[in-house]
Amino acid sequence: MRLTLMFLSVALLLLSSWIGLTAGRIEPECRNIIYMHVPSSIAALVCFCVLLAASVGYLATSRVSWDRVAAAAAEVGLIFATLLNVTGSIFSRAEWNVWWTPSPRLVTAAVLWFLYVVYAILRISLGGDRGLRARVCAVFGIIAFFDVPMVIISARFMPDIHRAGFSFDSAWQTAAFLPALASMLLLAAVLIWLKADLLAARDMLEKEI
Amino acid sequence: MVLDGVDLRLEAGWSVCVCGVNGAGKSTLLKLVAGLLRPDAGSMRLCGSDIGSGGDAARAGLGAVLHEPMVYADLTVLENLRFFAGLYAAGRAESRIDELIDRLQLAPYRFDRAAVLSRGLLQRLAIARALVHEPAVLVADEPSTGLDAEASGILLSILEGFTAAGGAVLMATHDVEFGIRCCRKAAVLDGRRICFEKDVCDIDAAAFTRDYLAYARESR
Amino acid sequence: MKHFLSGFNAVFLKDLIAELRAKQVLPSMLVLGLLIMWILRLASSTSSIDLAVTGPAALWISILFSGLLAQERSFSVEKENGCLEALLLAPVDAGTVYLAKVAVNLVMLCVFEIVIVPAAILMFRLEVSDWPVLVAVLMLGNLAISGVGTLFSALVCGAGARGAVLSVVVLAVLMPVMVPAVFALMVVFGAVPAALVGTGALAFVGSLGSALGYMVAFDAVFIAACWLLFGIAVRD
Repeated sequence: MRLTLMFLSVALLLLSSWIGLTAGRIEPECRNIIYMHVPSSIAALVCFCVLLAASVGYLATSRVSWDRVAAAAAEVGLIFATLLNVTGSIFSRAEWNVWWTPSPRLVTAAVLWFLYVVYAILRISLGGDRGLRARVCAVFGIIAFFDVPMVIISARFMPDIHRAGFSFDSAWQTAAFLPALASMLLLAAVLIWLKADLLAARDMLEKEI
Repeated sequence: MVLDGVDLRLEAGWSVCVCGVNGAGKSTLLKLVAGLLRPDAGSMRLCGSDIGSGGDAARAGLGAVLHEPMVYADLTVLENLRFFAGLYAAGRAESRIDELIDRLQLAPYRFDRAAVLSRGLLQRLAIARALVHEPAVLVADEPSTGLDAEASGILLSILEGFTAAGGAVLMATHDVEFGIRCCRKAAVLDGRRICFEKDVCDIDAAAFTRDYLAYARESR
Repeated sequence: MKHFLSGFNAVFLKDLIAELRAKQVLPSMLVLGLLIMWILRLASSTSSIDLAVTGPAALWISILFSGLLAQERSFSVEKENGCLEALLLAPVDAGTVYLAKVAVNLVMLCVFEIVIVPAAILMFRLEVSDWPVLVAVLMLGNLAISGVGTLFSALVCGAGARGAVLSVVVLAVLMPVMVPAVFALMVVFGAVPAALVGTGALAFVGSLGSALGYMVAFDAVFIAACWLLFGIAVRD
């Protein structure tokens, strides 16, 4: 099932790239990175929502499966956040000639990345009592989630170099964008699922030993 | 799972001693009763109020001497007791503190910081801490550790006074001798539950052990 | 209510007395804060514009890092001798313990700032245009640091994490509030000429009022969230 979904995700990505490089091409060339950049930002935010849900779920039920989903979501989210920041940086260099600047979207992306990294650090450095680690990470997950709207609000107060919103000029561009979005979200879901199962298997093995 | 199917009932003025080998679950049982751990199933009530759900009433009526002394190293004996009296909003705090300090013979040390006290003195302070707010129930995990013979005697008299005044004591110990001297009833925790109970007012440790071994043999 | 007040007072006074007696954290905070500011001072040029801009940032950096020292203390004391369990046993709401600890950390930060702010003013040749606003900005920042730091100190110190984990976590969570905080201080110290406020020349576009408003919102949201989560965080 997961293999099928992965293939589907890759297929959608290829579809998106094909349309994006032909009929849905944006001028100038460098802006085509939008097809990677925006979907990965949405995927990173979705992963954060999954992380929040899993954290709340763990604190409410104390079931380890929630904790595993949280760990998986954090790891996958980190990947997408890294992708977001890297593509954003490339785009900003190409478009505005700066690698980075404290503008709202860029700061939000950076904060998101840092929060994922700190979650990873918490997971690594609190080895030992699994239950305690799960609880600490769950509380952090919830508090960190409150950071994101805070950054978005403070974004109102930062000088913006992003265009206010973006819209696609032609239907082809939307046709290139939507598969990319679907592909990223699908990939995120499959990876979280895989990772959670992997953690479950590892836990089972450790219990056997 | 550490404990499975433990049913225990304490009336005012009773003292129960729970014996068992290391790892039997005595400390877990006491932590559950104190409300530090939540049971996966079942409930615990103190004077009618549920302990686990965080009711203030239940916690106010409970005093606990557990594995750690639970006193602040940087505060003096007097300050520690005053803090706990304040925390529990205990009535007639000062007189109660003085009384406890006298009975536990901590008077020469009242202005000493807890960090400089010896193990035995620290344990006496812990006992005073548990009793400063006049609880209805005292939960004690190996209270005689670190106490010399004289201090054990003092603890014994305090427990007797406590139960005489209507308090209930739940004690865990692997020192059956001390447990039986202190308490009215002794129970053995084994195989995740209380498997043997007996009134021990009139018998000694040897008799109790004999009875328990006889029971163990029969039940095999 | 009776339990709230007595519990709050008991924990608050106990922490203060213990700290005054141990004399461990406050001196380290002061020394660390002064050292950080001194290093940043040496690292900046002596032009008055540069100093006026670096000064507020240096002040917040030293408050943040010294504040983290205070946070760490608030629960490492409880971990010795198992005192946190004693607090949980008492008929005091976990939230009350949290608020008392936040109050203690606030007091320590305020005492720290009484020394460090004049030091900053001297070192960076700052001029204070508005003392009440300065106090307000500092207090809002202190509330944020204490509020978040106390919760995570309980969690992280309770879990026995070594090293800078607490600092990393608290700094990450406090990231959003630092921009308006530095901006507000810059305005108070006159580092931001009135002409620049509201333009895009700074990282913060807005007035002093909006910066303060943001900080108030941040503090309200986070202290409420931390207060609610504290009980869940420390109980088993």
